[in-house]
Amino acid sequence: MPALVSKSLRDHRRSLIRWTIGIGAFFTLYLSFYPNISQNQELYGEAALKKFPGAMRDLMGGLEGFTTGVGYLHGVVYQLFGPMLFVVCAAVLGNQAIARPEESGTLELTVTLPIDRRRLVAERFAALALGLLGVAVATFLLAWGLSAAVGTGVAVDRILAAHTGVFLLGLFFGALSLAVGAAAGRRGPAMAVVGVVAVGGYIVETMGRNVDAVSWLRWVSPFHYYLDGRPLYQGFPVGDYVVLAGAAVVLLVVAILAFDRRDIGV
Amino acid sequence: MTAVVRTEGLTKFYGRRRGLEDLDLEIRPGEVFGYLGPNGAGKTTTIRLLLDVIRPTRGRMSVLGSDPRDPAVRGRIGYLPGELALEGREKAGEYLAFLAGVRGGVSRDRIAALAERLEADLSVPMGKLSKGNKQKVGLIQAFMHEPEFLILDEPTGGLDPLVQHEFLAMVREVRAAGRTVLMSSHVLAEVEDVADRVGIVRQGRLVAVEDVAALREKAVRRVEFHFDAPVPREEFEDLPGVRDLRVEGANLSCTIDGRPDALIKAAARFTVVHLVSAEPDLEEIFLTYYSEENEEEARHARAGVQEPA
Repeated sequence: MPALVSKSLRDHRRSLIRWTIGIGAFFTLYLSFYPNISQNQELYGEAALKKFPGAMRDLMGGLEGFTTGVGYLHGVVYQLFGPMLFVVCAAVLGNQAIARPEESGTLELTVTLPIDRRRLVAERFAALALGLLGVAVATFLLAWGLSAAVGTGVAVDRILAAHTGVFLLGLFFGALSLAVGAAAGRRGPAMAVVGVVAVGGYIVETMGRNVDAVSWLRWVSPFHYYLDGRPLYQGFPVGDYVVLAGAAVVLLVVAILAFDRRDIGV
Repeated sequence: MTAVVRTEGLTKFYGRRRGLEDLDLEIRPGEVFGYLGPNGAGKTTTIRLLLDVIRPTRGRMSVLGSDPRDPAVRGRIGYLPGELALEGREKAGEYLAFLAGVRGGVSRDRIAALAERLEADLSVPMGKLSKGNKQKVGLIQAFMHEPEFLILDEPTGGLDPLVQHEFLAMVREVRAAGRTVLMSSHVLAEVEDVADRVGIVRQGRLVAVEDVAALREKAVRRVEFHFDAPVPREEFEDLPGVRDLRVEGANLSCTIDGRPDALIKAAARFTVVHLVSAEPDLEEIFLTYYSEENEEEARHARAGVQEPA
């Protein structure tokens, strides 16, 4: 493994373990409510959820079939909180690649090593992707196990499809934070851009479904390429996932080009 | 032999602020070059340009015969940043092993020997190191792969006198091995013992490059002789280089400009009981040398302000 990749992974291992535990705790907590909800259809069923305003239901992803295993998993775990946790984790990792070491000054010595600047960014991105993959694999195994334990009845390949989407969405936002950090050299702008794109993208994708004025914007929302294919219901939306992965690669190229041509630490 | 560093018209502006302007500098193989100037004069800007951390606004430079953009060149350089940042739980030893690996490998023994020499504890997490101990780690990483060219930005900051002494010995060894050193400082006293030549940078411009030995020869030195009996003043008057002569009975004091030879020979005719010769203050010479130039620069600056835009 290239030196910068293994070094970055070593530096991030505590943070990766903490994220795995945190996201795992979220999955455990929310899936543990499922038996209670599926056994109280009349309390949580369609009729009950109709009480919520339509726009709010849209924002929560529709909340259809909330008391079924797949509906619950989709609406509660994989709709909003699961992806958002991955997005934040990836954005933090993306900032660790360039912006944070540049702000603290440790990047100074790194860029004077006999490593091409472009390779430096690529290797830091590889570390980000591998770290995020580790978190994704560990939390997937947990989600699969819990889903079986509480009896949601969702097939493992569907959970894998949804989890892959969450990972790719995270990778996209990690690459976004890396790209802004590589261009600006500061964490603030990277976090701001990630925040705006994530929140804006999510709202556009969910509420824009029923608002014609903004529905065209769904095409530029990264969430569109995760949520629209409904992976828990329909399996891998291959085309959408390729778009997400492709966008992450484009952002990586942007990061490389931006970092290669600028002054460090000024 | 080709120069280790050669720059022509090297200029760096940070937006509209001048970092460095029209630097023409040559550093020769095997020399220790002291790079002097007050804080903010452009020393660190020069160094960071040479290492491709920042990019020049205009001008040309070559380092070890190549463009600093070539990563392979950087592997032949040892660099100590002026503001060395080391942090986190990682142990200094692990970090050094990582840097050594990227630079093509350094034996554990070599790192251990350097650590012992500078009395650095490499088993401590870097975030917990004091400023002086961080500086030691910085020196180890700069020296460990025996680079052809060492670039040290304010290397003695935070080091105690004993470690400073050891560091200067290491610099001398590097020179003895025929390798080259560029070290910056804001005071001449820190580099004059090891430097062959010094360059002075002020307000982004190189104002002088001087040979240290020649400088020392020009140095003004305060000398006192104590004889066993009163000496005649005439014997010491009008000796070359002797100024501010004062003779009081058996005591003589004066300043010497340049070589003390004539004074020594004159004094040798009497019985010398005690001799005091203060170290020449090279800093002072510099200030006198270049004060004229400064005044001129200041005049230009004032004229510039008055000029209509």
